[in-house]
Amino acid sequence: MAIRERWAAVLAGLSLVLLPAALPGGTPGGPSLLPPAQAEQPQGQAKPVLRIGAIPDQKPEKLNRLYPLVAAELERQLGVQVTYVPVVDYTAAVTAFRTGDLDLVWFGGLTGVQARLQKPGAQVLAQRDIDVAFHSIFIANTGSGLKQIRDVKGLTELKGKRFTFGSESSTSGRLMPQYFLAKGGVKLADFAGGAPGFSGSHDTTIALVQSGAYDAGVVNEQVWRTSLRDGRANRAKVFAIWRTPGYPDYHWIGQPNLDQRFGKGFSRKLQGAIISWRTTNPQQKQILTLFGAQQFSKSTAANYKQIELVGRQIGKIR
Amino acid sequence: MAEAPAREPGQPSPGLGAPSHDLPWLELSQITVPGRGRPRLDRVSLAIGGGERVALLGPSGAGKSSLLAVANGLLRPSSGSLRWLGAPPARSGRPRRRQQARIGTLWQDLRLIEELSVQQNLNSARLAAWGWPRALLNLLWAVDTAANREALAQVDLGAELLAQPVSALSGGQRQRVAIARLLRQDPELLLADEPLASLDPRLAAELLQLLLNQVTPRRALLLSLHRPDLLAGFDRAIGLRQGQVLFDQPACSIGPADLEALYGGDQPGFGP
Amino acid sequence: MIGLGLPAVIRSKLRNAWTGRVWTGGNPNGTKTGLNWPTGIAAPLAMVAPALVLIPVLGLLPGLVHGGGFDLLAEFIQAAFSPSLDPLVLGSALKGLGTTVGIALLGWAASVLLGLVLALASSRQVWTSCCGHVWPANLLRRLLALPRSIHELLWGLLLLQVVGLQPAVAIAAIAIPYGALVARVLGDQLDGLPSGALAALRCSGVPAPQALLTALGPPLLPGLLSYGGYRLECALRSATLLGVFGLGGLGTELKLCLQSLQFHELWTGLWLLLAVMLLLETGLGGLRRRWLMPRRLGLGSPSSGSPRLEPGAAQGSGSGRALAAWAPAGPGLASPNPARPWPLPSSPLAPESGAGHRDQGRAPRPDSLGRRGREMVLALVVIMPLLVWLARAMGVHPLGLLHWQPLPNLGAASWASVLALPWPQLVGTTLLLTLVAAALAVGLAPLLLLVIAPWPWARPLLQLAWALARLWPPPLSALLLLLLLKPGLVTAALALGFHNLGVLGRLLLEASDDCPAPAELALKGAGVGPRLALLYGRYSGLARSYLAYGAYRADVILRESVVVGLVGAAGLGTQLLESLSSFAWDQLLALLVVYALLTLVGEDLSDRARHWLLAPT
Repeated sequence: MAIRERWAAVLAGLSLVLLPAALPGGTPGGPSLLPPAQAEQPQGQAKPVLRIGAIPDQKPEKLNRLYPLVAAELERQLGVQVTYVPVVDYTAAVTAFRTGDLDLVWFGGLTGVQARLQKPGAQVLAQRDIDVAFHSIFIANTGSGLKQIRDVKGLTELKGKRFTFGSESSTSGRLMPQYFLAKGGVKLADFAGGAPGFSGSHDTTIALVQSGAYDAGVVNEQVWRTSLRDGRANRAKVFAIWRTPGYPDYHWIGQPNLDQRFGKGFSRKLQGAIISWRTTNPQQKQILTLFGAQQFSKSTAANYKQIELVGRQIGKIR
Repeated sequence: MAEAPAREPGQPSPGLGAPSHDLPWLELSQITVPGRGRPRLDRVSLAIGGGERVALLGPSGAGKSSLLAVANGLLRPSSGSLRWLGAPPARSGRPRRRQQARIGTLWQDLRLIEELSVQQNLNSARLAAWGWPRALLNLLWAVDTAANREALAQVDLGAELLAQPVSALSGGQRQRVAIARLLRQDPELLLADEPLASLDPRLAAELLQLLLNQVTPRRALLLSLHRPDLLAGFDRAIGLRQGQVLFDQPACSIGPADLEALYGGDQPGFGP
Repeated sequence: MIGLGLPAVIRSKLRNAWTGRVWTGGNPNGTKTGLNWPTGIAAPLAMVAPALVLIPVLGLLPGLVHGGGFDLLAEFIQAAFSPSLDPLVLGSALKGLGTTVGIALLGWAASVLLGLVLALASSRQVWTSCCGHVWPANLLRRLLALPRSIHELLWGLLLLQVVGLQPAVAIAAIAIPYGALVARVLGDQLDGLPSGALAALRCSGVPAPQALLTALGPPLLPGLLSYGGYRLECALRSATLLGVFGLGGLGTELKLCLQSLQFHELWTGLWLLLAVMLLLETGLGGLRRRWLMPRRLGLGSPSSGSPRLEPGAAQGSGSGRALAAWAPAGPGLASPNPARPWPLPSSPLAPESGAGHRDQGRAPRPDSLGRRGREMVLALVVIMPLLVWLARAMGVHPLGLLHWQPLPNLGAASWASVLALPWPQLVGTTLLLTLVAAALAVGLAPLLLLVIAPWPWARPLLQLAWALARLWPPPLSALLLLLLLKPGLVTAALALGFHNLGVLGRLLLEASDDCPAPAELALKGAGVGPRLALLYGRYSGLARSYLAYGAYRADVILRESVVVGLVGAAGLGTQLLESLSSFAWDQLLALLVVYALLTLVGEDLSDRARHWLLAPT
């Protein structure tokens, strides 16, 4: 008996130690760790890989559906290997871009500015049609006593309520809403508890406001519409109280050294590929639908001056 | 928790198998406890009545400790029946605890709670009768000081010890405190497992006398003894050998022949 | 004197107990109790007293609950019974688990190595016998306090900024603070070893390295292995937590699942993680018993057993002596009094108490020492190539850590804005959060054990609940709690307290199972109910070492308070995450310094509390 017990203990220890070995895949490089080959990618090697990423502003399953499609499409169009590397939060996306772990990233307005400031020479490549004038939606729990409001002044109703933003670095979920709140005379300390919450993503904001954890919150319009459509947002529990004026938001940003690594004119080719997507092509239509856009268009850094200004004002850009 | 009626020392215990003088305080019949090889107890039967002082004799491994463990309910025999004051051990928790509260055990290692004061230790004997409020109060406050002082006086200790931590006491003081705790419990059946084993002769004799003095008509004592020379104060002696009762007779009638039969070759010396 | 450095809640309770007591007599005999703990404060009460924090917490709770989240919570609980078995989900959870276990193992191995080297380098004994000076050891000790004071999560996030996203980051994040901790514990142990053997060897002309190895190696080994095993368990928890913040592995998946409210997928990962954690804990426990290592946290250090019995006890059991001599003296690790013999089963009146059998089971057989050595070597032989293979499979390039990316130069630091942060409020909230969480964890564990004492069937349930609590990274509990509670300090404290309750509860249970409590049996034998018998008979003996460990845990909680920052209004942690997302290096630096200072002070206070609690009476 005693001997069996001992062996059981030893076996347990051993099997535990061996567990990683027994796992499928061989490379236990989890979802957000870079596959080993990419950790260091010597320049001038025969086949460089284009690593694309995105700020995780939505449900991971949606990101995991969308970006592999994007990778496949770009791979087809450009003839280079493209992989999608998921990251877990906004800050990590900016950092990964700065440290050169991501080549092409779908950034929000604020994170895009942060990324470009940290990586001089980074190029703004394209934005969606809807990003020219993007909107945020203030939402409220039906039990909160809040009503729809007419203009920015109406935001004072939110004083004393429990309020949540999305991610700290979200443009539509934090930066611009905070800007409009300030315009309406609401300071962050005016919320119940002396500070707003940060749910981390738009989907979570909707879930938390719907559950009543927060009286109100703010999300990006596109996510809000999708949630209403697929029923994840329950109109009986959560409703929109105000739509902000438009501001520029999401955009694709590429590393400064793309041409060096992938050949002369690569960034131009990349930009051309993205803006060439049309709803007439079934593959591209799927991508555009998931992006909630009709098509992409060229964009430049100048479009995001306003965001940078607001970012500095609020202290998210320094 | 157990809200057994708080019985004050000295009063006859009410309820459940109240002692009537024809019922034995402790009755074991055909008790068997299995062991490795031979049984630790082999069909042991005995009965002890109120006011009796009974010594349990026998060589090491004879089953004295097992018998006492069966008697205080810690060890469940594989067969045979046990009765306390005429009633079999209750199965459910509360009645069972009420029965146990009437059995006091003097442990060889005393089992005092080292971290608590003498007062708190003495009061711990009343926990079976007390509810939570009093049990907690005992940890914060001096509870029942008068009763404790009296208990200490009975074992020749001064009340100034009450506030002392048990760990600060001398060996002899600890023994006495343990007995005082038994007095606070006020059991009807007193069990003691070789309480004198590690004491010097003078202290052993004193303590034995103290224990024997506690026996009243409504209280019985069963004490396992490793020194037949101390039999003097007992009414009866039971000899246990290899898990079986060898003899059960008045203590005064025990002779060298009985002891020779009990201990075989290795008879313990009559005192140092 | 009382409770110097104890959490204030405990302290005030203790003081109440102290002053509230009526002295029924002086101390006429002038007994040796310099510390009046045994009489002044009832030990068993002190143990559950921290649970009094429940009163204000429960009082505040109704105001914090909002109606909305019950549906979601019900969904969450239902999902526990129907985790997703989709091969895709399962596959990615297993993959994530592999990464987490890999990070934990590699980080742990690196930390033990690092710790061992640093322990030698910071040992006064080693320096004295090698070159006769002590100051390098003292200097290194001071320096080591810094890496220790910063939570592994912060190390992870900082390294991420400096060297980019690579597998080695998570591993280094664990290895650095853990290494410093191991170094401290082992260093203390080294210096706590009797120096006689070493001096004797040196006198007979043995060179320093050999002498050190011979004199200090064998006595140090069991402590090293025991503490190392404990650290491996911690490393698994840390690796999961790092994942929650995006450093890879299962934690990342758990967080993403929770954020998108996919509870079935969430439970797939949770159950897998639970299985691995329990396997690890059982495996390590088995090894610990097999190799006769001291119990991790000398909880239940000897206190019963009268002085009179001691001589007999000491000669009675070789294992008792050996165990006591091995008792490590690290954080929360044991009584500082290795001379005390182990409590022994002494009354034959309790033949089934089990204590006797257990101790007999522990007595080393003559051949066990050699066998143990062989097995240890075997284990090392198995683990080494495995670690190398793991590192390769995960693509860990330690040299990659030297590839520093320049930090972006984002304008001059604006110290005015740093000063403008609401420091007193940040620090105050952090401290309050720590105290409430610590009191909850420390007080609830014994209280819950008391509550379930009469019901044997409830024990496995409680153990399962505690295992889940340990498993759940606090930020995830916090997110989950947000479905029910309004954000704020209490919510954060509950999340943090819940996690640590899992850790403390297990230790308490282990300690209380390991340590025979004859007094408890005696009380039961006298008809006392199971709860009161536990409180009086067992908790009395456990109180000191348990509270001492609690003091250590409070120190850990202070460090950990950063991880619940995302609940909002949780002090320095919240501000830290905000500054990080703004890439405000100046604020970040200031916050780190303040955090490090706080934890250093906290560590010092907790040390004092432990020494006071464990001081021999």
